[in-house]
Amino acid sequence: MAGTGIIWLALLGPVIALLTHLSWRGITTALSAPGAFDPLILSAESGAVTLGVLLLLGTPLAWGLARGTLPFPRVWEAGVLATLLLPPLVVGLLLIFMVGPFTPIGHLLSGLHLSATDTFLALVIAQVYESAPYYVLGAQAAFSGVDYRLEQQAALLGDPPRRVFRRVTVPLAAPGMAMAMAIAWARAMGAFGAVVIIAYHPTGLPLQIWTTLQETGLPSALPYALVLLVVALPLPIAAYFWSARARSRRRG
Amino acid sequence: MLEADVEVNRRDFTVRARLTVEPGERLALFGPSGAGKTTLLEVIAGLVAPRRARITLAGRMLTSTENPVAAVPPWQRRIGLLRQDPGLFPHLSVQANLLYGRAGADAGARAELFELAHVLGIAGLLAAMPARLSGGQAHRVALGRLLLSHCDALLLDEPYTGLDSSLRRTLTDLVVSLVTRRGVPSILVAHELAEAQAFADRLAVLDGGQILQEGAPDEVVLSPATRRVAELVGYAGFVPVRSARADSAAPTAAPAAIGLTAGIHPDRVIGGRHPELGLILAGVVTSCRPAGALWEIAIKLGEVIVTVRLPEAARVGMEIEVTATDPPRFGPDGTAAPVRPAPAATGGLTAARAAQSRQTGNQK
Repeated sequence: MAGTGIIWLALLGPVIALLTHLSWRGITTALSAPGAFDPLILSAESGAVTLGVLLLLGTPLAWGLARGTLPFPRVWEAGVLATLLLPPLVVGLLLIFMVGPFTPIGHLLSGLHLSATDTFLALVIAQVYESAPYYVLGAQAAFSGVDYRLEQQAALLGDPPRRVFRRVTVPLAAPGMAMAMAIAWARAMGAFGAVVIIAYHPTGLPLQIWTTLQETGLPSALPYALVLLVVALPLPIAAYFWSARARSRRRG
Repeated sequence: MLEADVEVNRRDFTVRARLTVEPGERLALFGPSGAGKTTLLEVIAGLVAPRRARITLAGRMLTSTENPVAAVPPWQRRIGLLRQDPGLFPHLSVQANLLYGRAGADAGARAELFELAHVLGIAGLLAAMPARLSGGQAHRVALGRLLLSHCDALLLDEPYTGLDSSLRRTLTDLVVSLVTRRGVPSILVAHELAEAQAFADRLAVLDGGQILQEGAPDEVVLSPATRRVAELVGYAGFVPVRSARADSAAPTAAPAAIGLTAGIHPDRVIGGRHPELGLILAGVVTSCRPAGALWEIAIKLGEVIVTVRLPEAARVGMEIEVTATDPPRFGPDGTAAPVRPAPAATGGLTAARAAQSRQTGNQK
């Protein structure tokens, strides 16, 4: 019991340190500067787009992995795990070789007047790479938890596959998917390693913290850290409570 | 009418079966675990792809592996499947579960829902979540859901396993009355004979993927077509007999060359010597234990041990004489041998049996 209490306090330590070292004056000074909220807005926008991409592309992949409908499932899983196991900084470096301006994809994008470096698109790409495995693996676990016999029963009661997915699979997997999305959101908001390589500009919140720390020191960076927490944490916390409520409702 | 002619590969054998179930008819597929019963139902429901099949329901071709090829998906088959796990959707209330298969859920559907809920005894549970239901209540809701979806055939895959016997009986009676009233063909899969008999008006015995015998439930039990069928329907001992004549038996002294055996069903045995009723068995009690309201007694007859259930207990080691009423006889190849009636003038014991009976008497 004492051991678990110690590890819990240790894990919560950075948040406690942040709150104890912040002053109201420091927060108002930092956030009243012109353009202070721009990184926050940018991160929120790119995070929302990232979640949309994950929901659209990651959900079918998670479902395929959970249901074993994909050929060579281990290969697909390895692809998902690769981005999780590679250090984000390395992912950023490799993304330059993949979507940089002198690559085939880069040429293709420039033909569409787009660029995957130092743009909003680059920020979204970096965030997708840093958060996708958390979402796909979480959603896969959520789908795996849905009893396939319930899906069969729904089909036998007249529902074609898409309607079974909408009426049975998604509602039953929703609590787990919500948690997966919340974690992916937090990872996207805090993405730094890949972002610093391919999306130094425009500046999102994590980079704002880094540059403020470099240029004006720790006290000036702390208010941005608080902002990052305030933006990144509510969704996971809300998802946690919603999941708990949904599970409790099912128990009657 | 449901017609199914199916061949489907399993890991260890191929299931081959041909079934016809008339509207309102109740067929029970009875057999041991792993016989292929569930596979057969899943092929009919469209959940498992067969190697070869031709399945029609009410004139609609559901599956045909021959030209013209047909494979109607499960959601268009209108076949209801009830498994051991009722499969209620845990995120929906009882009422939403019941109405799941009724698109639109109009006033007519709701009226039918309330009427059926009343019949099923779940009218007070409509707002409850499935997790709050007992096993019996969950099965009633699952059954109601199938009936409300107006399926054209009902498949029941050992639905009452794990429920207590009185609840099973209640649910079976309920299903029988509802299925009969609706006039839909229904198939019950069961590995307990009593459950199959209580439900069905026709019984098919399935083993190793093959239907070994099909007929009226009592006919299959009283006249098993093979020794294997007899084993499956509960014959718990096979004693050598001298001939196919109804009264001619001397289990312990039967000449092996003939190869005839008589199947002894524990429940078709009466105490004492009654040559006019069947085969007299005389031997030594090797065990005796209570079995419900009866006593299950193992009797050693020479090299063979048979089990019988009698209303009176017997002491281990004592000699006992019982009569197996009209036991089926099987030839050396395991198929049923026709039983010739005993001539009235010559009815009685063979010399060997007489000698033995002199030794044993009636529960001496």
